[in-house]
Amino acid sequence: MLGRRQKREKWILLAPALALLALVTLIPLANTLWLSFTDTRISALPEPVHFIGLENYVYALTDPDFQDALFRTLYFTIVSVGLEGILGVAVAVLLNQEFRGRTLLRALIILPWAVPTIVNAVAWRLIYHPDYGALNSLLFQLGLISDYRSWIGDPATAMNMVILADVWKNFPLVAYVALAALQTVPGDLNKAAAIEGAGPWKRFRSITLPWIAGPLMVVMVLRTIEAFRVFDIIYVMTGGGPADSTKTASFYVYQEYFNYLRSGSGASYAVLVAGISAVLIVFYYSATKRQTAGGAA
Amino acid sequence: MNAAMPQDPILQISRLQKRYGDVNVLKDIDISMAPGEFLVLVGPSGCGKSTLLSCISGLTDISSGTIRIAGKDRTNDEPADRDIAMVFQSYALFPNMSVERNIGFGLEVRKVEETEKKRKVAEVADLLKIEHLLYRRPAELSGGQRQRVAMGRALVREPKLFLFDEPLSNLDAKLRVTMRTEIKRIHQTTNASIVYVTHDQIEAMTLASRIVVMKDGVVQQIGTPQEIYNKPVNAFVADFMGAPSMNLMTGTATREGDHLRLQIPTPDGPPLELFDYGPGPETLSVGGTAELTIGLRPEAMTDLGLRSGGIDGRSLQSADCLLDVVEPAGADTYAVIQLGGTEAVARLSADAPVTAGQRVPIAFDLSKISYFDIASGNRL
Amino acid sequence: MKRSLVQSILLYGCALLLAAFTTGPLLWLAVMSISAPTDLTEVPLRWIPSELDFSRYTSLLSLEGGNGERFLSALRNSLLTAGGATVIALLLAIPAAYAFSRRQASMVLLFAFLATIMMPPITYVLPLYSTFSSFGMLNHTVTLIIVYTAMLLPFATWLMKANIDVLPVEVEQAAFMEGAGTAYTIRQVVLPLALPAIAATAMLSFLVAWDEFFYALIFTNDLSAKTLPVAIADFSAGRVTDYGVIASVGVLATLPPAILAIAFQKFIVSGLVAGSVKG
Repeated sequence: MLGRRQKREKWILLAPALALLALVTLIPLANTLWLSFTDTRISALPEPVHFIGLENYVYALTDPDFQDALFRTLYFTIVSVGLEGILGVAVAVLLNQEFRGRTLLRALIILPWAVPTIVNAVAWRLIYHPDYGALNSLLFQLGLISDYRSWIGDPATAMNMVILADVWKNFPLVAYVALAALQTVPGDLNKAAAIEGAGPWKRFRSITLPWIAGPLMVVMVLRTIEAFRVFDIIYVMTGGGPADSTKTASFYVYQEYFNYLRSGSGASYAVLVAGISAVLIVFYYSATKRQTAGGAA
Repeated sequence: MNAAMPQDPILQISRLQKRYGDVNVLKDIDISMAPGEFLVLVGPSGCGKSTLLSCISGLTDISSGTIRIAGKDRTNDEPADRDIAMVFQSYALFPNMSVERNIGFGLEVRKVEETEKKRKVAEVADLLKIEHLLYRRPAELSGGQRQRVAMGRALVREPKLFLFDEPLSNLDAKLRVTMRTEIKRIHQTTNASIVYVTHDQIEAMTLASRIVVMKDGVVQQIGTPQEIYNKPVNAFVADFMGAPSMNLMTGTATREGDHLRLQIPTPDGPPLELFDYGPGPETLSVGGTAELTIGLRPEAMTDLGLRSGGIDGRSLQSADCLLDVVEPAGADTYAVIQLGGTEAVARLSADAPVTAGQRVPIAFDLSKISYFDIASGNRL
Repeated sequence: MKRSLVQSILLYGCALLLAAFTTGPLLWLAVMSISAPTDLTEVPLRWIPSELDFSRYTSLLSLEGGNGERFLSALRNSLLTAGGATVIALLLAIPAAYAFSRRQASMVLLFAFLATIMMPPITYVLPLYSTFSSFGMLNHTVTLIIVYTAMLLPFATWLMKANIDVLPVEVEQAAFMEGAGTAYTIRQVVLPLALPAIAATAMLSFLVAWDEFFYALIFTNDLSAKTLPVAIADFSAGRVTDYGVIASVGVLATLPPAILAIAFQKFIVSGLVAGSVKG
């Protein structure tokens, strides 16, 4: 129920925020798009701009290195988000039980989330150190490995180790959302099922999981969007290596821009990556819409 | 509906419409209100009374029509410029401010000078007997006290028109009665012009100088409580106002010379026959018969008891009726009689010696009879 | 349902495992930071330090000596950048949130707000870099504050909108009836009621800004503007003889967010959950 003047006020209220966002995101986005149709390079001297139409895109889409980067990113995303989901839900189920020390444990798991991304990357890199790292020592002293390994120096294992570090930092978010959702499950449902003879796993699959699926889906899509654009942890832990085994899409673009100074072609890669992100964002919106429309939050 | 006003109306609503998209929430509202009146908007949920109040306040835009307050066209004015004050259902007190600041807020916004503001607030607090609460916060007050603070905030600016949006709904029954009297007393003391919304028709009947009955966005009837009660303009108003509601029975009327022969069917046995010597429906001519709805309030159907002397066969007539259910209710006894396709309620005296299943003479007061068209429900 | 002994053992076992998994890396980092340098290069590793060495902390927190100077400069930059951006973001977010909550600003627009930060930073970075470069604004804290403010704005707006939604709207209507304008009402009526929400939003925003790496990496060159994440990355990339120093830098950089997180855990968690899930 609004008066006429009040309806106009919304633009005044929104103006500063809109202006800033337009300046810092919309205009650069348009610029990047424009750049992608040129062959500009970053250089100290001004250079004439040549429009080359879709040439950059044709190259980008057929570039095997970029395709590899995309696949690696896909791998990283699916595995890390998948693990976060499983671990997060398992932890939530655990924390939903009654036991002594539960409150302390619930508070404790915020710590990985609170650790700055860079500190996380650096800490795990130290843990993975081939000569002095804690992981090697631990596994060796427990008799699980016979020799020290170069975890992030080995192309076969590097990506997985990065994934482990990332999952460690991010599973608490999933756990908290899952826990909040679990706490809304009416106790009667599980009791009724138990009386009907359903075992714990069946009860979990048929009652609990569907109940928390809504919010869980939303946070998983959110994590997917964030995982897809992973950069920071790669930069600090492995620098894209070894042998490009951890070079993800964002990292690829970064190199195009700031190592090879190819702004035009870099922009085309950036647009492609942005496009995929945009698709994921649409999934996020439909997931949240379904969640609010469906009711139980 | 609107008598000629001796003075300028304090509120004049003309052809007001309010649409939300395709839905017409308020249809062609015409209301005129004299200064000092206590105008109550009453109706069932969804009838549009709160929306109408919101339109008068300016918090809601209208789709077409005009609103004039104290002679000035306020249709396009902001709420703050209309010289009105509003008491909300939830009181809407500012939780972070003291009672004093709450009451004086309007003056504070208008940058009234400090001593003047304090004086006016003290005056109003005195009137409402809340001076001892001036430095408390709303959270520390009881429901009744908060209500007074809300009224104080409205009164202190001395606006032309007061709007009350169901202010008593959030109070318990006993407090509601006390506050109702309080509001009536303030009206009498200040002679303020008040527009008051409620869904409680008892509140409407006791507080109003005039009542506006609404249904589905349309004004059904505007009139004094007496007019509404005794001469409801259609079956809806007859049923909605008054508790217990008017009995609406289906029957036939035949005009025979100087009277109407009324026949009201009963589920068992011959129809009840009554003779109305009053004017009756104009549309019914001599010799004509019509099926219509006959309305009589419970208090117009009583036991003979004290009335037997008054039975004159004209305005007061007696007929035997089978009592279906008997409900003693303290000061009265209610008897349910199957009449005219409905469960008619008769109000008998408390010590009437009746039991369910008995056939008992009932006195019908035909001076209080109403006729309605069966199809449209309109008064005939 | 009473638990059997086996179930209890399983349960507490898992709980302990979770506690170890969660705190292990952090505890190890802390232990590393106070272990003697020789302990850290022993093979196999000494888990318990032979002696406690706090010298790294004293050196990092003093203004003399390279390490301390670098660390404290980066700390100062992080505080200014994150703090400044948080304050300005809130100043812009609150009116915007009010527009979305009470002035029927389109939800599609709010989603568009959020979409801008969900896109990867590489989408925006190069034109921003060119622009800042041509204005000579590279390597300035102010530059980062501008970028971070835009980064924090959508989420802050989202959170504040959700919180204004649940305030009683009639109180604001009463203020309008009494003649208060929108600005006056927001200041005098809405904000006092929304203080807890503002605190929670500020905290979450601060944590996000504190954590940011990419823009800081690209837009800063030296310690006059470099934030903690960039300084740490630089530091650990260089040739290091004492891993304990890296560890202690990590511990110090983790302290502010960790303390905030533990102290205001309920706040933050409900904010996070609401932000991620409520549509």
